Amino acid sequence: MRLLWRLFRRDWHARAWRTLLYAVTIAIAALTAVGLLASRMERLLAFEANSLLAADAVIVADHPVPEAFARMAATRGLQQAALTTFPSMARKGESAALASVKAATPAYPLRGQLKIAPQGQVGAVPQPGEMVVDARLAALLDAQSGDAVQVGNLNLKLAAILEREPDGALDFSGTQPRLLINAADLPASGLLGFGSRARYRLLVAGTPAQISAWIAEVKPKLGRGERLEDAREARPEIKAALERAERFLRLSALVAGSLAAVAMLLAARRYATRRFDEVAILRALGATRKRIAGLLFGQLLLLIALASVLGGLLGWGAEAALITLVRDRLPANVPLPDWRAWLLAATLGSALLLGGAGPMLHALSRTPPLRVLRRELTPPASVWLLWCTLALATAGLLWLLAGEVKLALIAGGGMLGALLLAGGAGLLILLGVRRFAPGGTAGLAARQVLRRKALAFAQLGALAAGLLGVWLLTVVESDLLSAWKSRMSGDVPNHFAINIQPDQQEKLAALFAGQGLARPVLQPMIRGRWMLHNGQPVDPARYPDDRARRLAEREFNLSWGDALRKDNRLVAGSPLDESKPGLSVEDGIAKTLGIRLGDRLAFDVAGTRVEAPVVNLRAVEWDSFRVNFFVTASRALLADQPASLITSFNLPPQNRGLVPQLVRTLPNVTVIDVGQILGEVQRVLDLASAALRLVFFFCIAAGIAVLWAALDATESERTREAAVMRALGASARRLRRVWLAESLLLGGVAGGVAGVMASLTGWLVGREVLQLAIAFNLWLPLLSCIIGALVSAVAALRRLSRLAHTPPVDLLRDEG
Amino acid sequence: MAQRLGKTVSTEYHSLDILHEISFDLPAGATLAVVGASGSGKSTLLALLAGLDTPSRGDVHLAGQALGALDEDGRAQLRADLTGFVFQSFQLLPDLTALENVMLPLELIPRPGRSRSAMLQKARDWLERVGLGDRLEHTPRQLSGGEQQRVALARAFAPGPQILFADEPTGSLDSATGERVANLLFELNRATGTTLILVTHDEKLAARCDWRLRLEAGRLSEFVRVVA
Repeated sequence: MRLLWRLFRRDWHARAWRTLLYAVTIAIAALTAVGLLASRMERLLAFEANSLLAADAVIVADHPVPEAFARMAATRGLQQAALTTFPSMARKGESAALASVKAATPAYPLRGQLKIAPQGQVGAVPQPGEMVVDARLAALLDAQSGDAVQVGNLNLKLAAILEREPDGALDFSGTQPRLLINAADLPASGLLGFGSRARYRLLVAGTPAQISAWIAEVKPKLGRGERLEDAREARPEIKAALERAERFLRLSALVAGSLAAVAMLLAARRYATRRFDEVAILRALGATRKRIAGLLFGQLLLLIALASVLGGLLGWGAEAALITLVRDRLPANVPLPDWRAWLLAATLGSALLLGGAGPMLHALSRTPPLRVLRRELTPPASVWLLWCTLALATAGLLWLLAGEVKLALIAGGGMLGALLLAGGAGLLILLGVRRFAPGGTAGLAARQVLRRKALAFAQLGALAAGLLGVWLLTVVESDLLSAWKSRMSGDVPNHFAINIQPDQQEKLAALFAGQGLARPVLQPMIRGRWMLHNGQPVDPARYPDDRARRLAEREFNLSWGDALRKDNRLVAGSPLDESKPGLSVEDGIAKTLGIRLGDRLAFDVAGTRVEAPVVNLRAVEWDSFRVNFFVTASRALLADQPASLITSFNLPPQNRGLVPQLVRTLPNVTVIDVGQILGEVQRVLDLASAALRLVFFFCIAAGIAVLWAALDATESERTREAAVMRALGASARRLRRVWLAESLLLGGVAGGVAGVMASLTGWLVGREVLQLAIAFNLWLPLLSCIIGALVSAVAALRRLSRLAHTPPVDLLRDEG
Repeated sequence: MAQRLGKTVSTEYHSLDILHEISFDLPAGATLAVVGASGSGKSTLLALLAGLDTPSRGDVHLAGQALGALDEDGRAQLRADLTGFVFQSFQLLPDLTALENVMLPLELIPRPGRSRSAMLQKARDWLERVGLGDRLEHTPRQLSGGEQQRVALARAFAPGPQILFADEPTGSLDSATGERVANLLFELNRATGTTLILVTHDEKLAARCDWRLRLEAGRLSEFVRVVA
């Protein structure tokens, strides 16, 4: 152990060892920072999404929520509120309208806020004897603050007009205007009798740990008609945005991890090369191979331990610094990150190191003891075995981080492609230079590089990989992020209007025109109950998945015409033929409900059975905020069915007057404000941008590690070469010119290939993984070629100028 | 003892006999100089005798143990138990101090009852014996060639080997320094009773050994006891 420690301590002075430590530390730091940030972001967004529930967790039931659940919440010190919602008629004088009554206990809402018109001040549950209604109900009843409104047996004073309730967006299917009363008034209302269609909710809030514990306790005890509500599941827009942000982060972590792996491999090679003599002596002195391997791997484990601590601290510090920087854009109560991210990062970093350095150290332990007498002997090491091991370790990491095969394949393929292409193309170019310009400095430089083809190949590949990572993180990610941002800004719809009757189209258009807004695009919406799946009656109880059961229970919104929109993408099957009956199903719901291409589905639409085969499956960009449907049909199937119309539109703040106007003119139309959800998605985007800036620095650091290690890889050979050339009379100037030509060639070729690969990978990731269309960046290859050549030349010359001026005898002594 | 020792190296086109039918028997405690022209196979013979390389034919017995019966790790164990080495290029680990270099073989093969403080003391004693008691914490870079070779001698003798192999031990040193190192080598050898097998070009050095083995083009041309 002491010997191990002494060797480990001594290694601190070796540059290759420091490069190895640096690469592992950077990998662990990057993965830790990304992991911590992703976990914090997830918790934060879950918390934010909870404001859409008005709570951290909600039990919803079709009967009063059993007392036991409230008691469990009380035992854990959770805040509680109760809601009862049901439809009822509201009257004021001669006017009457069907309203959705919500009776709330005073603690409601536990998360988010009630907003009161006209200025959006924070409101509260009305006092007993009072009520608040939304603008639509006020318009329908022609009521104003202070008026008396009757609901059931109650005659309540209208205290204020409700502008927004936090959980309003979740009641997407609710078409009735809102009436909010205090739960204390409910018993006297006489509205809740046997058979009333009421929904009961128990809302709870507390720390994440308390909530998780409560959910775990409650979940197995849920009875018939009782379930836990999940905001993210209810709003696919937020889920989609969150998933896309996570993919961005994962992609960045992938790049940092892969780069670090390349750096590790190069540094391990150099480290091993420098230790051949030492191992030969130890073996000559009688150390067995097992003992040597034990010493080498022991040192590796100490290195991993050190890198894990350093990387963990660095990652943790960087993440904490980022959160401090963007604090003003975050809610006051920022959740803590999940520390297990560090554990995972350390494990992944170790796997990469073992993959990259393991084979080299194994080979090192097999150094023949005869090397003490014959220095030319080296251990039998297969370069291909090394590359394969590293490729496997990296592939494992990519897959684990990406969480999906396609992203892993594209990122990994891009990296591997860059390595091979840069290596191959570089060798070809160098061969060309050697052939066509044999006499000049460039020719001499090409000959020097080509004497070590395998090393030149690896060096070119590593340089290209380093630059590719940097480009992916700078130019390409910023292109992708801009594409996403541009989609989420400007005219993204923030309102939906549903239940529009076909004969109201012109009136609606006139209202929009009156506000100077474009004519809305209307889409038919037909409600249908799913009856048969391949001729078999649909039985919700058959689905083991809770979500699938609920989907199967409810009515579907169907639509037709212009079905395959811009933000829908066909993933299987063929486009709908409008003249034949056919259905198109969103692929997510198809998976949940077990619907396959070619299956026959039958719906009951207002008493008529409509049936057709599934002709295609499509992916929907839910975060586009445009009208989308789980199931659409061909014109031939649904055109004759009774339909209402639906539209989504962007309402700028100055045109807010349209909503009350619209409700008054077309009282049957329901307008739903999704601005809050849009805000959530934009917050995800903001956080993702901030997070990317953090990861970017790690990727640059990893890229530098690769460049450093790639240039280091040939140092022994350079020293020997410099000694011989100097001894043979080459001037320092001549040596510098040869090296300059050599590094310009290497860097330029690697840079050019990295540029092409980065543009291509970015274009592919945008298209296939993130569904964001970006153009192929044509300038990048040229820019990359120039920067690659310059970086390589500056780095090489800085390092080599020492060699050019050192007397040959000293160089030979150094080398020995 | 070497028995009909031979080494053949095969290349793509032909095979080359580097050593051919070498047999000799050296008594314990004796000193042997292996001499011959460059390329005559001296270093190859040393490597085979020390178990650093394996012969194509024949076998080597060290202190009664046949090397041919051992695998690589078995030979390593035997080297640790029986042998010590001194090389032309010293082969000290550049980042370890003189004291750490001498301790290396002691630490590498832990023996029951040998504590760390005992190892440390032993290494110090040996460095004192070679006249470097005041250079314990110096690294090889801070030592002259002669001093480095003296550290190498201390390292070779510290574990108490039965057989010491030396490959051109004065080959990298000037004649005066080489003389001093050679004196020290023979003095320590006499004091410890170690068997010494020495490869050298230096006839004066060879003449100080009890026995001389001469190789010519891989063949044994002479194995004689030198009468002083």
